[in-house]
Amino acid sequence: MKIVVGIKQVPETTNVKINEKTKNIDRRGLGGVINSYDLHALQAALAIRNQVGGEVITLSMGPDDFAVSLQETLALGADKAVLLSDRAFAGADTLATAYVLSEAIKKVGQVDLVLVGQQSVDADTGQVGPIIAEMLKVPQVTYADKIDAFKDHLVIDRKLENMEQTITAKLPILLTATDKANRPKYTNVVEIAKSFDKPIITWHAGDLDLDEKRVGQAGSPTIVRSISEPQKVAKKNHRLSNDPATAARELVDILKQKNILTEDK
Amino acid sequence: MDQNKTSKEILLRMVKSFTENEVAPFDMEIDHTRSYVNDLLNKIKETDLLSTMLPKEYGGAGFDGSTTAEMINEIARGNASLAVTLEGHFKSIDQIVKFGNQALKDEYLPQAKSRIIAFSMTEPSGGSNPLGINSHAKHVGDKWIINGDKIMITNGGLAEIYCVLVKTAPEELSFFVVDKDMEGFEFGKQENFLGLTGVPVGEIVMNNIEVDESHLLGKVGMGKEIGDSAHNDARVLMGAVLTGIMEHELDIVTDYATHRKAIDTPIIQMQGIQRKIADIAIAKETTKLLYQKAAWLKDNRQDYEEEAAMAKAYGSRSAVKSGDDALQILGGYGYSLDYPVEHLIRDARAMELAEGTVEKMRTEIALIEAKNRA
Ligand SMILES: Cc1cc2nc3c(=O)[nH]c(=O)nc-3n(C[C@H](O)[C@H](O)[C@H](O)COP(=O)(O)OP(=O)(O)OC[C@H]3O[C@@H](n4cnc5c(N)ncnc54)[C@H](O)[C@@H]3O)c2cc1C
Ligand SMILES: Cc1cc2nc3c(=O)[nH]c(=O)nc-3n(C[C@H](O)[C@H](O)[C@H](O)COP(=O)(O)OP(=O)(O)OC[C@H]3O[C@@H](n4cnc5c(N)ncnc54)[C@H](O)[C@@H]3O)c2cc1C
Repeated sequence: MKIVVGIKQVPETTNVKINEKTKNIDRRGLGGVINSYDLHALQAALAIRNQVGGEVITLSMGPDDFAVSLQETLALGADKAVLLSDRAFAGADTLATAYVLSEAIKKVGQVDLVLVGQQSVDADTGQVGPIIAEMLKVPQVTYADKIDAFKDHLVIDRKLENMEQTITAKLPILLTATDKANRPKYTNVVEIAKSFDKPIITWHAGDLDLDEKRVGQAGSPTIVRSISEPQKVAKKNHRLSNDPATAARELVDILKQKNILTEDK
Repeated sequence: MDQNKTSKEILLRMVKSFTENEVAPFDMEIDHTRSYVNDLLNKIKETDLLSTMLPKEYGGAGFDGSTTAEMINEIARGNASLAVTLEGHFKSIDQIVKFGNQALKDEYLPQAKSRIIAFSMTEPSGGSNPLGINSHAKHVGDKWIINGDKIMITNGGLAEIYCVLVKTAPEELSFFVVDKDMEGFEFGKQENFLGLTGVPVGEIVMNNIEVDESHLLGKVGMGKEIGDSAHNDARVLMGAVLTGIMEHELDIVTDYATHRKAIDTPIIQMQGIQRKIADIAIAKETTKLLYQKAAWLKDNRQDYEEEAAMAKAYGSRSAVKSGDDALQILGGYGYSLDYPVEHLIRDARAMELAEGTVEKMRTEIALIEAKNRA
């Protein structure tokens, strides 16, 4: 099975700063890590490869320093990596990102399964996977919790708010992985050195069959007007009476006042 | 792509995540139970953390001294004991790499991936003055017969391979490598130490252990040189452990002082508290610079003995003092066994003794300063 895994490098979440001017994440001097959901997607891909055979290719669109994350995926067991790096890709929104990724997946060719994370932990939209599936015209299953692979089909468990599903799906397909899909392994320290024997291929805009109006800033219809941290609201204490019956009545009154409880009509 | 830089970044990402998820949450439990809970010993083998600095030709990852020290620093921020267990193993590997003959390297270095190696000099008669030891080896035919008693060995009981200092003549010190599976090898008493309680520190007894010529580390009479070299390598890594302890102290006090209030004001706004926190940060950064410089000198094949001694001598007292300040910032909670500060003081205190007492290190530093000017 030929599997492509989308890998996004994100800043370490503890020190994310937003550039007030560009409304973009200020990446200067930040340590990057692989988006945590993508590690689950990769782990799932490796397990499937080990079960039914095939090849795992990791794919990332981003600046050259994302290559570290791709190298890390090779140390974790991926067979090869592709970096999509070009100034023309800068400023992409989810649509333009998904467009370039889907064209790269086409160029890889004969891909049976695309695995991405359920969402990124920095921009958090969860849109890239589903858009890629639409662009590639393949079916998609989002929020995959468990994936069992067979020669020509997959069985996927997913949990939604009000139901649990088990889906049998034919290939080719795109899945987005949750953090319940598996427990990612730690990078093996000795495998780091060995990973340099495997290739990271860089594709620039010119290497792909792209419509330049659909790439980067030009291909991004969304604009961030403002971005800010949510205001912290101070917690308030309210002491209820000691007598349980009175306290219960007081509590119900407060909840009604706040429209949390409403009168049954 | 710069392969060294990329490898280092991937390693440190891994170690950071490993420490956050597998080590730090168990810090208190390791201290209280005096053992590596959470299956940590298996985890450091499975991830090959044990092979971080083992040369590639023996199956290791081949990281340099600076990277190895930074990795130890990161782990120590989560738990100092585990960092010292790794330090003990790494400094022993270093000596076999530096002084071992090819047969010895071929036999033991590949095993270092999964079997911990320890380094033992101290005896009941004392640690600071090696010529006072009683263990000895006798040349019989093409074999050496080793007898003696070694105590206070870091990873003693856990380690499976031991580099042992013995006398090969009344005034002649030499090192041999022995294996716990050899006939005549026995484990003795475990120490009941105050700090670094996760690290087993114990005794080995050698009763007519017979080894081949190849088990002689370096040459006959090189005992002092090899011992000094091991101290130097250990001290660089201990500087890293001490930095990690002070980072841990800073993690605790900055969080506490930001949230703890004196009536309405967070105590971090108070100058007396600020001064303590600033002093811990200065000591941490100074120790870090010292061990990094020592490691850099080592990687660049220059003398690092003095900087290594400084990192440990300065870092150990600083970490103890910083722990004391941290305890004060936490008030009564700082004095509680249910909070981690007290064990950080106990942990740091060990490093004023192990790998040469601070008195011995200051002697070395003073003599090097004089020699440089002679
Ligand atoms: C400050 C800020 C402002 C932004 N403004 C906008 C905006 O106005 N409009 C807009 O549409 N987007 C905006 N973005 C989103 C930005 O363009 C995204 O980083 C990018 O499009 C990917 O979307 P995502 O991070 O939400 O990925 P998600 O859709 O949440 O990611 C899901 C999965 O897709 C894969 N994936 C995502 N990105 C990549 C990649 N580059 N390479 C490989 N795989 C990938 C990964 O497997 C990931 O787990 C903004 C982001 C930030 C931080
Ligand atoms: C946690 C821990 C781990 C250890 N791990 C190991 C290990 O792995 N391998 C190993 O071999 N040993 C190990 N040791 C032992 C350690 O190396 C010795 O404790 C140390 O060398 C001091 O020896 P001693 O305890 O016999 O004290 P002594 O040598 O008897 O010293 C007593 C006091 O006299 C001072 N003193 C003695 N001689 C001199 C001198 N010449 N100049 C100045 N002052 C002097 C010392 O500084 C000290 O204050 C460990 C100790 C600890 C606490």
